[in-house]
Amino acid sequence: MRAEQLLLLYPRAWRERYGDEFLATAGSGPMPARQALDVLFGAIDAWISADVRRITVASQTPRSEGGPMSLKAFVCQHEVPGVTPRDGLVGAAVMLGVSTILKLFGLNALAFPVSFTLSMPFWLMKGVPRVAQLAIVGGTLVLLGVIR
Amino acid sequence: MAPAKKEKKERDDPFADLGRFSGPALYILLSLADGPKHGYAMTQDIEAVAGQKLGPGTLYGAIARLESRRWIEPLPAEDRRQPYRLTSAGQRVLRHRLQMLQALARVGRARLAEG
Repeated sequence: MRAEQLLLLYPRAWRERYGDEFLATAGSGPMPARQALDVLFGAIDAWISADVRRITVASQTPRSEGGPMSLKAFVCQHEVPGVTPRDGLVGAAVMLGVSTILKLFGLNALAFPVSFTLSMPFWLMKGVPRVAQLAIVGGTLVLLGVIR
Repeated sequence: MAPAKKEKKERDDPFADLGRFSGPALYILLSLADGPKHGYAMTQDIEAVAGQKLGPGTLYGAIARLESRRWIEPLPAEDRRQPYRLTSAGQRVLRHRLQMLQALARVGRARLAEG
């Protein structure tokens, strides 16, 4: 896969902050499998790491000229854009349901990572293109299967 | 871990909460110690100095963490490349880390000499 395609796996705020330099560093040709895997893990990290989200969202947040950041901007930094309480509940239900099913089949070690991964499209990855969701969720499930 | 204990651990070792990015973060700080560099120049320098080839996912995961701690900062972009430089906080952290590693190496060498 090419760097431009893999870049789509990252959150929009991340792409706006680091996208250009990421492409300049990664080059334009097809990526070796090992490097592509590194980028896949990087994309998952960018979605779930509070550190990474803080710096990418902060660089997007408009600040009033010379003044302190508004309360709304401060609160929005800590929210996943567009995620409603209903999305959170759906994500939690998917996690609980999948965990229960896997535990019934004796797959205890996979219960958390698989249920978390399958719940991501409902909250953490809401608004992300379907292709990127499929690649991240599918790639993670395949990796979990291989590791197991 | 209790918050007080975690705070003490972070004070003693600021890299403690970087997890799998602690190694790449150290390499990046080390690479910027002799002047600003952009991502590609960092990966080349790190490969030459430490023999580690950082993938772009790991490199930018570590850069974001270092930026959020204000240990490095971006300079005006040159074309599509974004150079970074070490901040004074970054210099302090790097110096502290290198002293820790030096002390560790001293103990290791002494123990090997004993055995």
